[in-house]
Amino acid sequence: MTQLKTEADAAGLPLSGIRVIDVGNFLAGPYAASILGEFGAEVIKVEHPVAGDPMRRFGTPSPRPGATLKWLSEARNRKSVTIDLLQPEGVALFKRLLAKSDVLVENFRPGRMEGWGLGWPEVHATNPRIVMLRVSGYGQTGPYRERSGFAHIAQSFGGLNYLCGFPGETPVLPGTVPLGDYIASLFGAIGVLVALRHQEATGRGQMVDVGIYEAVFRILDEMATAYGATGKIREREGAGSFVAVPHGHFRTKDDKWIAIACTTDKMFERLAEAMEQPHLAASVMYGEQRKRLAARDPVNQLVVEWVASLTREEVMARCLAREVPVGQVNSISDIFEDPQFIARENLIHARDEGIEEGIDDIIVPGVVPRLSRTPGRLTNLGPTLGNATDDVMGNLLGLAAAEIARLREQRII
Amino acid sequence: MSVPQTPPPRQGVLAGIRVVDAATIIAAPFAATLLSEFGADVLKVEHPVGGDGLRGFGTPSRRGDTYTWISEARNKRSVTLDLRHPQGKDLFLELMRTTDVLCENFRTGTLEKWGLGWDVLHEVNPRLVMLRVTGYGQTGPYRDRPGFARVAHAVGGIAYLAGMPRGTPLTPGSTTLGDYMTGLYGAIGVLLALRHRDQTGEGQYVDAALYESVFRCTDELAPAYSMYGIVRERMGSSHNDLACPHGHFATKDGKWVAISCATDQLFARLALAMKRPELASSSVYGEQKTRLANAGAVNEIVRDWCGSLTRASVLARCYETETPAGPLNNIADIFGDRQVHARGNLIPMDDPHTGDTMIVPAVVPRLSETPGSARSLGPTHGQHTDEVLREVLGLDDDRIAALREQKVI
Repeated sequence: MTQLKTEADAAGLPLSGIRVIDVGNFLAGPYAASILGEFGAEVIKVEHPVAGDPMRRFGTPSPRPGATLKWLSEARNRKSVTIDLLQPEGVALFKRLLAKSDVLVENFRPGRMEGWGLGWPEVHATNPRIVMLRVSGYGQTGPYRERSGFAHIAQSFGGLNYLCGFPGETPVLPGTVPLGDYIASLFGAIGVLVALRHQEATGRGQMVDVGIYEAVFRILDEMATAYGATGKIREREGAGSFVAVPHGHFRTKDDKWIAIACTTDKMFERLAEAMEQPHLAASVMYGEQRKRLAARDPVNQLVVEWVASLTREEVMARCLAREVPVGQVNSISDIFEDPQFIARENLIHARDEGIEEGIDDIIVPGVVPRLSRTPGRLTNLGPTLGNATDDVMGNLLGLAAAEIARLREQRII
Repeated sequence: MSVPQTPPPRQGVLAGIRVVDAATIIAAPFAATLLSEFGADVLKVEHPVGGDGLRGFGTPSRRGDTYTWISEARNKRSVTLDLRHPQGKDLFLELMRTTDVLCENFRTGTLEKWGLGWDVLHEVNPRLVMLRVTGYGQTGPYRDRPGFARVAHAVGGIAYLAGMPRGTPLTPGSTTLGDYMTGLYGAIGVLLALRHRDQTGEGQYVDAALYESVFRCTDELAPAYSMYGIVRERMGSSHNDLACPHGHFATKDGKWVAISCATDQLFARLALAMKRPELASSSVYGEQKTRLANAGAVNEIVRDWCGSLTRASVLARCYETETPAGPLNNIADIFGDRQVHARGNLIPMDDPHTGDTMIVPAVVPRLSETPGSARSLGPTHGQHTDEVLREVLGLDDDRIAALREQKVI
């Protein structure tokens, strides 16, 4: 049995003593469980005995059979228990587990859990204190609730993907595909933490219902309110933004890219100085945001030409000397060399964490957010399927070895 | 559109928690907004001249501020206070004694320069939780650099990934994405820190960096580079390194749909929707690895099929076979959508200052027992200064008048 650091070093962390059951697949919801695990919760991943979470097979394969790199990184801080929820005895076992847990995370299509007798009323009856986080593409209610909704679909539905791309051209992905899964999980984690606070004050659990689409829609700043008031439909903005000019990505002489964000007039003044063309920031020229917005193309062109005349290093140095908000458009290879990432320990080398699972060369993103007194931590990479089944069945549920053997024989676990 | 339930203020799980939001624009203030929705009393402390820059960020409203302000400064009370003025500083320290959470996003060193750094605040109130948001965090060689979400998208690696292959890196959908993501992480950090504080009496600070929030959400980007040296590039609208077909496709009526077949089973459903079930046989494109190896051809088939039908027809056929598909909604589509209405995602709120009805996004996440609420729109500058100084700091009218005279408030 793999010895996990999970419980041993959780003492003193905010969620020490909290047990989370994660019966979800992929990321939307399970990532909320990962965050809880980083801050001390014990996370038990419940998976089907044969296939397990499909995220084990999604993405780039790792040296460990049956585990992609995505699985290793994002199923962190968990142990895996197999239970077949399609069998009534599996459901009964699962309920015994729920009775001893604080949080349940799931992301099946609405109706699936109900089909197994594990809808909110049953879960709540099993353990009135439990907090149930339910994440799905469209949420638990409404006419589309039973539609399948991966991040890609839900982000599109929620309005984000429409906005990414050049005006009038093909909408592109907003950087990464599962962005909506992460965002929904962040909202989910907030819901769970609020609900846990209520549970501790009153003893009552509750359900947290997050639609991926609405999580994405919630963070599109003024889009809804501006449309409601003016009828203006926001369109794709290429590399720019409707709020400010110059505010975009520019190519340097050495064929790299930088981002410049002159959100205020003062920032533009600094940029004009960095460009050694301070007259551009005069109020009769482009000193005011509204004038720059009205002259978007000529202003951008000035910056395009200036940036193109220098290497990335030179542009960065000149902008930084004037405190212009500027940054490299980093590829992952840039990121691995970046002194800020290194200083902030944003890249965790599994080997340095004493993780010995045959893939200790792997580097994964560190814990966010960063707490000064009770920092989160990485205890283990994505577990092998069922690595804690015996432990949980025996020690937590008190089943005898012969009983565990029978359940395994009957493929219930 | 249903009228929202508007419970009286200061109910909810975080009732009794006082949050001082001395921050600007979106990142740290959004964390305060989230806390307010679940019952915290949020005091927005602003400079007496101009106030929060978010009041001028985006499309101007009839009130002279902006729509982002009206929506995102919801539930807050605006108090003016000049922290650079010695009397302002003293009042702020007094306020900190009874404050649970402080949200700030000044450039690193600014609060310290004013004598309001963590050490001072922690001593004044050891139970205080402080959320500090900057572009690069409180540590490391770039800590003093100015950082906005755009810069964070660039530094954190997602701007590089948005766009057509070898084309210009693009804004990842929304310029403020990194701000919101950081607000979410910030709220999580604050809730964890409040929990620790309630258990031990010890406050702490949460050190949030915009670029880190973005980078944390890049799935296997870092592991794949560390193990195999894979540098992920821009991929346009398709995720063709992991699954195919998986992208955006234009329909006959000039609209767009998203289709994502993450597994073979889902591709089989799409083949059925396209009325070409033979495509999903193992000798054709039934297996993910075959589809990935022939991504051009597979995408072409889907593109042709989508191009031959209206968006409504494509989606109807996909939904019939349970293929993961959806519209690329613009905001007009969203306002007309019945799921959005059924979920109550858009709530109308009356603006007492203009009489206008504003539509704002409703609270996410949705809690069954203790739902959050939007109770008021963004306040006008200093709208609650007198009320808060009287109620929270116990100042009398003469003192308030004197402070105003001296431009402290």
